[in-house]
Amino acid sequence: MEENQALVVENLNVLFDDKPALHGLSFSLSAGKTLALVGESGSGKSLCALAVMGLLPSQASWMGRIHLGSKKCSESSTAADWRYLRGKVASIVFQEPMSALNPVMKVGRQIAECLRVHAGLGPAAAKKQAQEWLRKVQIPTPEKSYHKYPHQLSGGQKQRVMIAMALSTQPLLLIADEPTTALDVTIQQEVIRLMRQLQTECGAALMFITHDLALAAEIADEVLVLRAGKVVEQGPVQQVLHTPAQPYTQALLACRPSAAQKGFRLPVVADFLENNGQTPARIPIVQEQNARLPEALLKVRNLRVWFPVERDWTGTPIHFLRAVEDVSFDLNRGEVLGLVGESGCGKSTISRALMGLQEVESGHIHYEGRDLVRLNSAGWRRMRREVQMIFQDPYSSLNPRLTVGDALMEPLRVHSIVPRRLLQQEALRLLDWVHLPADSMHRYPHQFSGGQRQRIGIARAIALRPKLIICDESVSALDVSVQAQVLNLLKELQAALKLSYLFISHDLNVVSYIADSVLVMQAGKIVERGKAQEVFEHPRDPYTRRLVEASVY
Amino acid sequence: MPTHLFRRLGYSLLVLWGVATLVFLLFNVLPADPARLTLGQRSDLATVAAARKELHLDQPLFRRYVLYLNDISPIGLVPARKGADAPWNFSFSQLHNGQRLALKVPYLGRSYRTKRLVSDILWEALPGTVVLAFSAMLFASFLGIALGILAALKKGSFWDTGAVAASVAGISLPSFFAGLIIAYVFGMLLHAYTGLDMTGSLYEWDAFGGKQLALRNLILPAFALGIRPLAIITQLTRSSMLDVLGQDYIRTAKAKGLSRWRMVTRHALPNALNPVVTAISGWMAELLAGSFFIEYIFGWKGVGKVTVDALDKFDFPLVMASVLLSSLIFIVVNFLTDLLYMLLDPRVRTS
Repeated sequence: MEENQALVVENLNVLFDDKPALHGLSFSLSAGKTLALVGESGSGKSLCALAVMGLLPSQASWMGRIHLGSKKCSESSTAADWRYLRGKVASIVFQEPMSALNPVMKVGRQIAECLRVHAGLGPAAAKKQAQEWLRKVQIPTPEKSYHKYPHQLSGGQKQRVMIAMALSTQPLLLIADEPTTALDVTIQQEVIRLMRQLQTECGAALMFITHDLALAAEIADEVLVLRAGKVVEQGPVQQVLHTPAQPYTQALLACRPSAAQKGFRLPVVADFLENNGQTPARIPIVQEQNARLPEALLKVRNLRVWFPVERDWTGTPIHFLRAVEDVSFDLNRGEVLGLVGESGCGKSTISRALMGLQEVESGHIHYEGRDLVRLNSAGWRRMRREVQMIFQDPYSSLNPRLTVGDALMEPLRVHSIVPRRLLQQEALRLLDWVHLPADSMHRYPHQFSGGQRQRIGIARAIALRPKLIICDESVSALDVSVQAQVLNLLKELQAALKLSYLFISHDLNVVSYIADSVLVMQAGKIVERGKAQEVFEHPRDPYTRRLVEASVY
Repeated sequence: MPTHLFRRLGYSLLVLWGVATLVFLLFNVLPADPARLTLGQRSDLATVAAARKELHLDQPLFRRYVLYLNDISPIGLVPARKGADAPWNFSFSQLHNGQRLALKVPYLGRSYRTKRLVSDILWEALPGTVVLAFSAMLFASFLGIALGILAALKKGSFWDTGAVAASVAGISLPSFFAGLIIAYVFGMLLHAYTGLDMTGSLYEWDAFGGKQLALRNLILPAFALGIRPLAIITQLTRSSMLDVLGQDYIRTAKAKGLSRWRMVTRHALPNALNPVVTAISGWMAELLAGSFFIEYIFGWKGVGKVTVDALDKFDFPLVMASVLLSSLIFIVVNFLTDLLYMLLDPRVRTS
């Protein structure tokens, strides 16, 4: 074994509830190097990280050898052995900074705690060092921030605190489990840059877990591609991600949406596996060319949505959060309008206002000549047929007690779309549209995978034969390979059913693939608008430029 | 934050007003003649007339209501001459008809039976109740939280199932029954070993020493009173701890390589305490308002026993006052709980 190996994993097998979840994983990582563990959800990449930290949940058991520095761990290692290693030899940064910090403990003390336990520092010295680390991770006014609680920091700052906590004890190995997935794009880059810089300073090895191949290509020395608990491909980053040998890796690289794919069907994993490594042919999407002049389906004028944040003693609001401020746009018939912006910019508030789920302060929403702002609840019920929504989380937006068939037939019945005797038939037709088997009718949402659930959500949205569908982050929670399938489906339905989409997303690559024109929102206002290609290739507004730079690695 | 507290204060006053109105209606509208009722069968007309005058029963209902509110309010109208014998009465203004607006001690009436001021009687009984309630809750909270943590950490083990089974038994055990059993077993059967009596109060009268503190009398009633809150606090702490132990920040604490003790005391417990505090404060208020059964069974002189005795003797002013007192206690305890939440959870402070 080489001297400077920080981590050696030999033949790691993990059983979860007695079902194999990781099969014979072996890899090594030397000090100062970065290994990217790439895979889709359920591939076992997080499980691998937990195993290396000795943090596997109690339902899991493992076999194999893990060498952390000079320490050797096996399945017979005790809790005390692990405790010595955790935090001191190996540290981890988790995905969700929002929930990974103790909400009732000052952030500075959470860092100081590590130093006191592992470096044996006294309270005063630990506090001083913790402030020093807050400065290193570029948190403004470290002395003051030491006394802040997690809820007083932004998501990016919380993740910086996590990084400070993980590196403060100078570990040999830093594990980062999707550390930036929960953050906005512009912040993602800063956090990653900071983490890399500090890692180099400490000389620690980095095990970086991600679903994002572009990110892996940018930061890793070596890559390990996982699928369903097995290694698909591993080796130097150049080799694996630039000239991949395995069809699965090729597929993962090819199915990412981008502006270059626009107008073509996205390839999916199955295409590559069937073609046995041959790049499948590009299939253009047949789109009916509208000879007529563009006709506005939806016209939004000077829309304002304010939320009261402070009230006086009588309960009258005196300060407002201006979530949507003076927004105007047109959505043409048959068009896909992308709405991009970072979290909190007001894009979801707009979609709620369009659905009548949010009271509007002032402004007009004209839909085919009717002003939706003035609509009463009976009018809104009729409008529901015309405008439908596909939500981000397909699981929580489906009633777990209804079978898929019932969930699809309910709106059909309520709005009397088809005669009662044809309900069943219509539901089957909808399932067929979204490529789900007919026996899905009698199954419950929890029996489907994430991608299938999103198809059910789509089937429900098109059940009422709407003209406009609002997709609110509809593909953001999906794996790339599933995302490609859902995007293909959305495009297919658009052409077949003559739909218009308002496509809300924080992911510029997805929007540049699917949208005809885009709106860029920042802090409740639209800062830039235009044809998708133009906006993303030649952004004029400084904010758009920052977004574009952050999403192209 | 101050606005929030002020609003809470306003609501509290409204609740108190509502309770006072309800109490007034219950005791003035429902029985046909409280004077008759209170004096019993053998009373002459003069006594009845005196009672009617004392209760303002010769006045119309609404006027009686206003007079009652004026009596119990700490700011109200008092006859001008009364200021002389109560120098601490702070007078705001002199009114033309010989009355003045003043800050005063609420007048709760006089006991029908002893003719003593109701406020004096309650004031005397309050320390007994307060000491009993605090001891019972102290016992229940510390033991309950400790047992709850133990059960959560050793989930599924003998300790866990044992604690859960015991707490289910404790919840289902009515306090009067538990009280009787405990008094009988420890105060009588085992008297030779425990040296404890079946009944007794915080203070005892001794022929030589006069009024003396008798803390040993506290043990049995506090134990009997604490069983139910103990059982509930154990269960709440257990479920809340189990919830918190599954949170991401506990995984972070483990990943930091903290010892189990530090992880539990510094990271898990402070986060698990919120629902427990709610339960403790609710019980605290309830016990402070007088624990009728336990005080009665153990002959413990407290608000509960005074109230039960008063009910027995139709001593309505005393009953009305003790209802008002218990609602006041609930309001004060809830207010303090709000402050405690702010202390425990930094997120509540800013929102």
